[in-house]
Amino acid sequence: MKTMELRVTVNGQPRKWSIGPGDLLLDVLRREGFFGVKRGCEKGECGSCTVLVDGRAVNSCLMFAAKVQGCEVLTIEGLADGDRLDPIQGAFLDHGAAQCGFCTPGMILAAKWLLDKNPHPSEDEVREAMAGVLCRCTGYIKPVEAVLAAAKQPAKRATRKREPAGVAR
Amino acid sequence: MFERVEVFYRPASVREAVRLLAGGKGRARIVAGGTDLVVDGDPTARALIDITHSGLAYIRKQGGGCAIGAATTMAELEESRTILALGGGILARAAATCGSIQIRGVATVGGNLANGSPAADLVTPLLVLDAVVVVADAKGRRKLPIAEYLAARGTKGLRQSLLVEVTAPRPLGRRCGWSFQKLGRTALDISVVNVAAGLQVDGAGRIQWARVALGAVAPTAIRAGATEENLQGRTLDAEAIAQAAEGVMREVSPISDVRASAAYRREMCRVLTRRALEECAAQAGCAL
Amino acid sequence: MTGRKVVGVNVRKVEGHKLVTGAPAFTDDIEMQGMLYGKILPSPHAHARIKRIDTRKAKALAGVHAVLTYKDVPRVPHTTAGQAWPEPSPYDTYLLDSKVRFVGDRVAAVAAESRAIAEKALRLIEVDYEVLPAVIDMELAMAPGAAVIHDEPDSTKIYDRSHNIAGYILREIGSVEQGFRESDFVVEREFRTHRQQHTPLEPHITICWLDPNGRLVIRTSSQVPYHTRRQVGQILQIPVSSIHVIKPRMGGGFGGKQEMLLEDICGALTLASRRPVKMEFTREEEFYMARSRHPQRLRMKMGVKRDGTVLASQLTVLATTGAYGSHSTTVQGNTGSKVLPLYRAPHMRFECHVVYTNAPVAGAFRGYGCPQGFFAQETLVDEIACELGMDPLDFHRMNVIRLGDTDLLSAQLGEGKEGLPRVVRSCGLPQCMESAARAIGWAQKRKKFPSGHSHLRRGVGMACTMQGSGIAGVDWASAFLKMNEDGSFYLQVGASDVGAGADTVLSQIAAETLGVTLDKVIITSGDTDITPFDVGAYASSTTIISGGAVKKAAGKVRAQVLEVASRMLDAPVDQLDCANNEVFTTCACRKAVSMTDLAMQAMYKEKFQIMDGASHFNTDSPPPFCATFAEVEVDTETGQVHVLHLASAVDPGTAINPMQAEGQVEGAVAQGLGYALTEELVLDADGRPLNPNFLDYKMFGFQDMPKLTTILIETDEPLGPYGAKSISEVPINGPAPAIANAIFHAVGIRIRKLPIRPEDVLRALHAERPANLDEEAMFAL
Repeated sequence: MKTMELRVTVNGQPRKWSIGPGDLLLDVLRREGFFGVKRGCEKGECGSCTVLVDGRAVNSCLMFAAKVQGCEVLTIEGLADGDRLDPIQGAFLDHGAAQCGFCTPGMILAAKWLLDKNPHPSEDEVREAMAGVLCRCTGYIKPVEAVLAAAKQPAKRATRKREPAGVAR
Repeated sequence: MFERVEVFYRPASVREAVRLLAGGKGRARIVAGGTDLVVDGDPTARALIDITHSGLAYIRKQGGGCAIGAATTMAELEESRTILALGGGILARAAATCGSIQIRGVATVGGNLANGSPAADLVTPLLVLDAVVVVADAKGRRKLPIAEYLAARGTKGLRQSLLVEVTAPRPLGRRCGWSFQKLGRTALDISVVNVAAGLQVDGAGRIQWARVALGAVAPTAIRAGATEENLQGRTLDAEAIAQAAEGVMREVSPISDVRASAAYRREMCRVLTRRALEECAAQAGCAL
Repeated sequence: MTGRKVVGVNVRKVEGHKLVTGAPAFTDDIEMQGMLYGKILPSPHAHARIKRIDTRKAKALAGVHAVLTYKDVPRVPHTTAGQAWPEPSPYDTYLLDSKVRFVGDRVAAVAAESRAIAEKALRLIEVDYEVLPAVIDMELAMAPGAAVIHDEPDSTKIYDRSHNIAGYILREIGSVEQGFRESDFVVEREFRTHRQQHTPLEPHITICWLDPNGRLVIRTSSQVPYHTRRQVGQILQIPVSSIHVIKPRMGGGFGGKQEMLLEDICGALTLASRRPVKMEFTREEEFYMARSRHPQRLRMKMGVKRDGTVLASQLTVLATTGAYGSHSTTVQGNTGSKVLPLYRAPHMRFECHVVYTNAPVAGAFRGYGCPQGFFAQETLVDEIACELGMDPLDFHRMNVIRLGDTDLLSAQLGEGKEGLPRVVRSCGLPQCMESAARAIGWAQKRKKFPSGHSHLRRGVGMACTMQGSGIAGVDWASAFLKMNEDGSFYLQVGASDVGAGADTVLSQIAAETLGVTLDKVIITSGDTDITPFDVGAYASSTTIISGGAVKKAAGKVRAQVLEVASRMLDAPVDQLDCANNEVFTTCACRKAVSMTDLAMQAMYKEKFQIMDGASHFNTDSPPPFCATFAEVEVDTETGQVHVLHLASAVDPGTAINPMQAEGQVEGAVAQGLGYALTEELVLDADGRPLNPNFLDYKMFGFQDMPKLTTILIETDEPLGPYGAKSISEVPINGPAPAIANAIFHAVGIRIRKLPIRPEDVLRALHAERPANLDEEAMFAL
């Protein structure tokens, strides 16, 4: 198989990888150990493989790896600053926005794209920006709350309705 | 899926891209956003030609209309003032429905047209805008009305050519109305049916110019020519709209598939055309 | 209020950090030296016999290490359903067979050095099929002359193979005939439900290898690691002791992974190649080679008195399990046993045929037969209430099951056999109904008759549902705890966190019982070498059953802790308590010892490992309850139904982690909305799936969700740890009937078929309202 050299910056680190000219970015990133990039459908429909390329959210399953030559790629692994979580990550934890966690990296990176562009989005803007990520666990409510909270640091706690116990024995 | 690709080109100009395409012996594929090519897969591809560095990402005002480079993304269309001002912004609106932000950030105008899907969302607004497609090959550039391009797409004459630009020439004067209507099953969906319309009325409310285009109801998106003709010269009122809406049902040839039945699609052509023309009428200042 | 420190608190998920940072936690997140890629050759035919299969070319391809057909593997009839032994599902499935029974059935399997080589090898396998007549339509499955799908002689536990009947159920309490005779009003209607797919974002995936001792390690995304170990041993004919199943982080299950779909064949390829092998379903394969919800035709009949009292209810079901009988009688049994007893009718009858068809296989799916049954029952009840001129809410208030009631149908209908009577020991259903009704604005909106000329019409509808919490007398679990030198505890549970938060909830229960903060509990779950037995994550059992085991084990360990403390503090055990990582005296002297000091004392002075384990099961399955209220807007021109607001009020017993409990409700509602409106795996006449992708299988996305109100009505369940029952399944049942009833309120049409597609709504509207009738006329009817 023919190979080519790919020079790319991933999470701030310059990399030089040997890739096939038809390789997809998702496969290359996972092969290189970036397991936070998830394989959910390979058709650009579920968004689990979302990464940021030069700040733009893309489905890495639909992008030829050769296209990111000279680009900066951000994966979920590169979002936290050492042990300091990004506010979106913290908000996801505080709001119970991650259930199984498989779509979570894609959601957080789509949110990152949005908040970088628009630090104070409306709920509709959050929903539109995140719409490319499918989730089967959360019903999307808590992820929206989390992103809105992250946008308004410090995060407010999720409100919830809980009625007093109707103890019945 | 693309294991047999041997080379990935990043031509810096259209001329180079066209040369590479011609030299690809039919096994070179143009890639821009990749959102169709990768989904469809292509085991015969041996070379990929990435045209996103070939100077084709632009939106220019041109003689009152505009010229859109083939590698312009949906996201760029959505946000462009020029496109938002063109034809009531129907092209921008259609671009905004072309999938998620991840898709719209990379999917291009050229890809949407070249893929030739009957449901491609940009095509109906471009038909309404009387858009012209510019293609380039080793012999030079050619202009084709968009309907002609759609019909000829995939034929031998166009297979070795590169779609480089779409121009929307027509700057209409006052009392215009425009609309883009899309019916999907969920918020983010391919069109079950989409309709674009545009018209201009004179001082007496008579229709001077009308375009109605429908998507996902024929092998390619189509203009409802007979309906447009019937509208021409008529007073834009509820009756004219109702008749036009009935009329389009006779001009479409939808199929039944997993998204909807042919009968439903046909009925939705009526509903969406009526809604589109009503929106046009409101913009053109015609009371119904 | 309760003095609880950890239970009932919205703590962060114990495994949350790794999820938000993308740490390699899932099955696929490892790279193994020499790992091969396994692929299954799926059948292109719905029903065929393999006349000839030639694998020579595939085997000769460079990079191919194993090719298996039915000729190469043991023939052991089994079920893929991950159920407790002896499984109630028919033993009608083979690792590989000479006959294929649905499009996507296994024909052969290969293991090769890359996915591309594996795919190429599949194309090189030559197969001659004798294509057989296929039965796709379940209505035709029992017809005389229909092709027999399981004609092989060695399958067992099939009810009537010659008529394609996988299972049959008939149960009656009282006499429905008498009940209908005594009724003033009897209504019978037919309902149809469809094929919904689980679509976990992580498709099924398994990686197998041989460890240095030659044992088969199965790293797999499974809800049932222990059942999988037992079943793989049975199928591959190797001892259980030579198998080690590891369940890493799972990317969702929803019942679809209560099924052994890749582990057996991946294990077989590993044994054949002696190399690590990874197998995963592509998204397309997940749609039709994995499982789906059973499609059903339901005929429901109810008899009521003029005042609205329900006297008799009868549900007659025809369901299809597809080509194999995984979960066939148990899912369908639930359609009766968990649905009919919602009403206090003295006479009930449930009859069901579960038939084979040459279609993708149905299986366990969140709700497990209840979404189908409640769609029929709650839509019928709404119709009856409306016919009687009663507010459906009043009808429910009058007739639903109450605290102290005994549900006798459950006694007749257990997990594939006689069950146990179910006593309602906690019931928040009345409060659920009232609070969800308030949230949706029922009283005002129900009164306001739809009017006006707009093509957009609004209406509200409701449904009440219940479920179970574990399978009575079947489900059981165990847990083990040991103390570490720093005062922390290591908790080992066989329970399998599918992503719903079991690890957190179980850790909370342990921490609460032991009087430590949550960070002092380190949990390992779902590893058959390390953790003790658990049936797995299904039947809404984890919190109540596995949680019950954790509470028992923690109670025993707590007693050991107190004994050591008693010696250290020189105080009797009954005057000791623990909280906040210390043990203290409850008398006035207020002496205390930290858990850390206590652990060091036990381990290095007393030379004693504080540790213990416990097992737990229940003989009853306490029902969680849910009231679902929906407000919809119907576009009468397009037939589109837009849900504006959906309120779910759920009684889960105690919510161990209310934030997670809400998340369960919201997720179940999202799936329930998709089930009601947009999701359906469609087959063509030859049994081929037409939409095995997210482009045309439409799940609800971020922009599709209506406003949701989630209300937890907490009760105190005597059989549950800290009063907990369950929550993850019950809220999925309500959206479909509540929406159908809201549509009736909005536009006066009854929808009895799922999903509620715009064109069906439009057709019904046109039938109800001929074109010459004006808009207002229909509401005058």
